[in-house]
Amino acid sequence: MREKVKPEEKTEELTKACPTCFEVPIGPIHPALKEGIRFTFWIEGERIRKVDIRPGFMHRGIEFMGTKRNLIQVLYLAERICGICSISHPLAIVQAVEQAAGIEVPPRAQYIRVIIGELERIHSHLLWAGVAAHELGFDTLLHYVWKVREPVLDILEDLTGNRIDYAIPIYGGVRRDVPPEKYPKLKDALRYYRSLVDDFVNFFLRDPSIEARTRGVGVLTSEEADSLCAVGPTARASGLRKDVRQDWPYFAYPDLEVKALTPEDMGLEVRGDVYDRIVVRLLEVVQSIELIEQCLEEMPEGEITAFPKVAALLAHLKKAEGEGVGRHEAPRGEVIHYIRLEAGEEAPAVWKVKAPTYSNLMPWYPMFRDQEIADIPIVAASIDPCICCMERVQIVCDGKAETLLKDELLRLSWAKTERVASRVTRQVSPGRGG
Amino acid sequence: MRAQEVLEALQGKLGGRIRNLEIKAETVGYRRPREREFIWAEIDRGDLPDAVRTLKELAPLHISIISGADAGDRIELIYHFGVGYGTETGEVMVNFRLAVPKDDPKVPSLCDILPGAETTEREKLEFLGVEFEGIPDARKLFLPDELEIHPWRKDEPDLAKYVRRTVAWEEKKDEGKGEA
Amino acid sequence: MSGLNALWQAILVLVGGGVVGFLYKGLDRKLAARLQGRIGPPLRQPVLDVIKLLLKENIVPRTAIPWLFQAAPFLAFITAVTALLYLPIGSLAPVLHGYGDLVLLLYLLAIPALAMAMGGFASGSPYAVVGAQREIVMMMSYEFPLAIAAVGIAWRLATLGIGPSFSLATIAANPLWGLVGPLGWIGLLFLFVALLAVTPAELSKIPFDIPEAETEIAGGLFVEYSGVNLALFYLADVIKTLVIAGLVVALFIPYGLAVPLGITGVGGQVLDILFFLVKLFGVVFFAVTVVRVAFARLKVDQVVRLYLLPTTLLALAGLLLLVLDKVVMGG
Repeated sequence: MREKVKPEEKTEELTKACPTCFEVPIGPIHPALKEGIRFTFWIEGERIRKVDIRPGFMHRGIEFMGTKRNLIQVLYLAERICGICSISHPLAIVQAVEQAAGIEVPPRAQYIRVIIGELERIHSHLLWAGVAAHELGFDTLLHYVWKVREPVLDILEDLTGNRIDYAIPIYGGVRRDVPPEKYPKLKDALRYYRSLVDDFVNFFLRDPSIEARTRGVGVLTSEEADSLCAVGPTARASGLRKDVRQDWPYFAYPDLEVKALTPEDMGLEVRGDVYDRIVVRLLEVVQSIELIEQCLEEMPEGEITAFPKVAALLAHLKKAEGEGVGRHEAPRGEVIHYIRLEAGEEAPAVWKVKAPTYSNLMPWYPMFRDQEIADIPIVAASIDPCICCMERVQIVCDGKAETLLKDELLRLSWAKTERVASRVTRQVSPGRGG
Repeated sequence: MRAQEVLEALQGKLGGRIRNLEIKAETVGYRRPREREFIWAEIDRGDLPDAVRTLKELAPLHISIISGADAGDRIELIYHFGVGYGTETGEVMVNFRLAVPKDDPKVPSLCDILPGAETTEREKLEFLGVEFEGIPDARKLFLPDELEIHPWRKDEPDLAKYVRRTVAWEEKKDEGKGEA
Repeated sequence: MSGLNALWQAILVLVGGGVVGFLYKGLDRKLAARLQGRIGPPLRQPVLDVIKLLLKENIVPRTAIPWLFQAAPFLAFITAVTALLYLPIGSLAPVLHGYGDLVLLLYLLAIPALAMAMGGFASGSPYAVVGAQREIVMMMSYEFPLAIAAVGIAWRLATLGIGPSFSLATIAANPLWGLVGPLGWIGLLFLFVALLAVTPAELSKIPFDIPEAETEIAGGLFVEYSGVNLALFYLADVIKTLVIAGLVVALFIPYGLAVPLGITGVGGQVLDILFFLVKLFGVVFFAVTVVRVAFARLKVDQVVRLYLLPTTLLALAGLLLLVLDKVVMGG
């Protein structure tokens, strides 16, 4: 009935396009990749001639699951879309639901959301910096950066109770206040990071071996970034001042007057390479520090949530009808959630999630153009990919079928292990004699 | 960029074919409040390329996502655009609703106007079975290549059964290998 | 030297070399970890690693050429061990003294790398093939400065009338630093730096670990190796580290403590051996551990450019200064 597209044809076409190339698969399991995604490169010598990208190894069917659960459960599910930017998806979905259900949020809650969001940006960018250093074979920097990332996680734990998955936003506000007695500790941490900025600049931007590996590598021109709809630091490193916090303000961001940062703000020429992406992320760490400090000064007193009782909130949500769009500038770029609520239903009728890596998938193609094999890891890492963020969907049937599936899969997995084991021994034994 | 300008440009191009127009404005912020605007509108699928071209001429255009839902005999697609994303003058979110009949699920692809739309179009293709005419790459993006169903369609027959069938088939294939 | 005596000596050197090699490998990992602000593995970790590898299954991929794939690790290990026997230890002459000289040692040092490349090509994985190509390209670029440094010293010794000048025992017994004039001294310094720069590449350590490059080609050359084969490569690397460091010591810092302190006999020899081990450790620490902590991995073209231009030029300048020194000093 439906026309079938044969994936092999595309592979053949790419192979034919470069007859002198040989095919190198990277992924779905590869040390350069922290998550499963498959790149196929056609390589001539050390140069990449063609690339094909195939995601689809990390599906969990979250959007489908969301339409089977009540909205509060969906919020926690959204938190688990991504482990690193775990606050980004809740922050986007609360906006969508608040818009759909017409909920007014108290100002203090909006400031607290900004504080947590920006703390997360600091930790996410530091995490990325460590990963990038590791991809370059610079493990010393990885260990250093991940060590100095600990204080911000400690602060997050102090404020929210968790290092990751903070469970802070709720429809109509936040679940925990940031009381004034916690300000000094938070300010100390910010002062600590401010004092480290010079070190970061020295270690990342003035290091000759890092510069040699990142300058002119993985270039994305601003025209390409624009037409391929790149988002977040990837777009900004190409000179586009795209930032949801600036263009389509939300929470307390209009009060803070956020500006999108590009390498120009550091007095550098925009080249759109990996180096520029490091520059932008470093600038954003500084920006986040400033934003949090500003928040602490300007934060108004008052309520932190419109619905102190969850039961009242659920009742309100059940009556609500409408649709809403929520956007948030996650550390990696724009997150957008679209939600449609129907009166009398606890679960959302439609829930669509877009993570930043989704938009940054297409820009990968021009970035890999004519690069060397050695550049693959850092170029792949330079958009700060979050694969399981991007792929939320998997075919999941109703609860019953899912359970059946799980058992069966487990059984199949055992059976397969046995088969593989027997095959391996068969195959190996002649080799042993030689 | 103001919603009114966007609207005038769209109406100039499409005239009466743009329906159920709605401009929503919200004020955000407390000390320095700012206004942000949405446009919601319904258009025919044939008018989509014209509408997007109009938007693109107006200001830098960004496609955030295409949302989709099964609405009985048709599939509802919602295109979320950011018009003027990344400009000093601010951004307007434009959301187009399209109805696509299930017996003829064809929509013109935006990839020639906005190459960045490919990812989200491929996703709608595999999940909802919407065919995008002129899409450069019609392979599956997230789902397994062997899968022949569109999991977001509510009338998809025997979705659960299909999953079990795939698994059973794999087992059979593996057994065959073992014997050989 | 009787054959039996040589055999005993060889066994002693190999066992001692193994122990010291593992100790230095452990120290290297521990110190690198401390430099990176980590705790690091225990000193015995390399031994545990090898024991574990020896217990593991030896898998030969279907796409490999089995005999070549299996032969490569043995070849690498055997040549590395043989090279160790050509190394003067402290004030003792090499075990195989008289059976080969510096040139042979240079060849022996090249063979493990070639064997690794061979094994990589034979393993039939695209990652290993890329790794093998990189190994060969890198070898071609660093062998030249290495050869210049070695030959330069031997030639200068020959011009001074000391011979057989290519014998490592002769080189170790006659430190050139005191025999040449100021120009020659600067030349020697240049050669020393060039040789130190080559050391991490010889050992495929960051920033020159491109044939393995974990994050790029998933271990490259070794991607298909497992079990005993991988253990042999590991052992070859352990021994090769000693040999390279030993070569640097023999060529440039062959000084002993026994003679200046006036200790003779067995006590003097033991003291010299201990001092030799300290010098060896110094070379390993500064040329391998510190370097691999302080830099990011380079790309293959950057490695080639680094060795073919600055390092080779430095070595050639050193050689030229030695020649000038001969002219000035009149040899």
